[in-house]
Amino acid sequence: MIAATPDRLSLGEILEDSDAREVRPRPRPGQRRKESRLRQLLRPEPVFWGLFSMGGFVSAMALPASVAIIGIAFAAGWPPDRAFSYERVSSLAQNPIAKLLLLGLVSLPLFHWAHRFRYAVHHQLGVHGMRRPVAVACYGTAIACTALAVWILLRI
Amino acid sequence: MRTEAPRRYPVYVPKVPTTWWVRTAPFRRFAAREFTAVFAAAFSAILLLFLLALSRGQEAYEGFLRWLRLPAVIVVSSVIFVALLYHAVTWFRLTAHIQVVRLGGNVVPRRAVVGALLGTWVVVSSLVVYLLVWF
Repeated sequence: MIAATPDRLSLGEILEDSDAREVRPRPRPGQRRKESRLRQLLRPEPVFWGLFSMGGFVSAMALPASVAIIGIAFAAGWPPDRAFSYERVSSLAQNPIAKLLLLGLVSLPLFHWAHRFRYAVHHQLGVHGMRRPVAVACYGTAIACTALAVWILLRI
Repeated sequence: MRTEAPRRYPVYVPKVPTTWWVRTAPFRRFAAREFTAVFAAAFSAILLLFLLALSRGQEAYEGFLRWLRLPAVIVVSSVIFVALLYHAVTWFRLTAHIQVVRLGGNVVPRRAVVGALLGTWVVVSSLVVYLLVWF
């Protein structure tokens, strides 16, 4: 049947019972608007990808030991009580280098989460579309928590 | 020059079910790896609350430590710990795949790169434990 009317049958008709979707044609190279150099530099994606990558590294390197001490060993009573006394911890946290490390420990894993969760919403949870609101919500959460961490660390 | 609007045309887009990632073991491992990020963020949130309590004085800090000792919180921490270990292993493996290390014209085998990363992990973890407990 297809062979009988080769030019009457559109691709859509062939695909009628399959998963055909209407899409906008992609812009041809000539039609594509050139992105200005400044816009290219200001694209947020490389920044967020870099933060995601750093966050993955920090999460892998420093977080397992941190959660083992703070979350498990301390609660089980293994480290000496002195280690988590208010005096020791607050004097440690007043060190500017310690503040910077703590900021990295709080903020970078959140950017790691933001990037992965953003794509999990589309790929695993099956939400199609709403790409910008999802991105704003995910990265916005990470940015807001970073701002909160900076504010808290400055007050300690 | 064409004046009419560009014509929309149908293309074949394979329909992927939402549950594609539970179908095969590699997909499940991939989804599990992606999901570990939620636990990393959960620990970051706990750490943020820790710092918030610390900044609000001794009473708030000691209240937070009591919360940290609740059995439910210990269970959550243990789950986070396991998830983060899984994240660490998968992260080192994928780093070794992405970052090709060349040494004198030869490519360093992936096992060696993973080994170096694990060695660094042991050093960094010891340093974290030392800083948190004895420093």
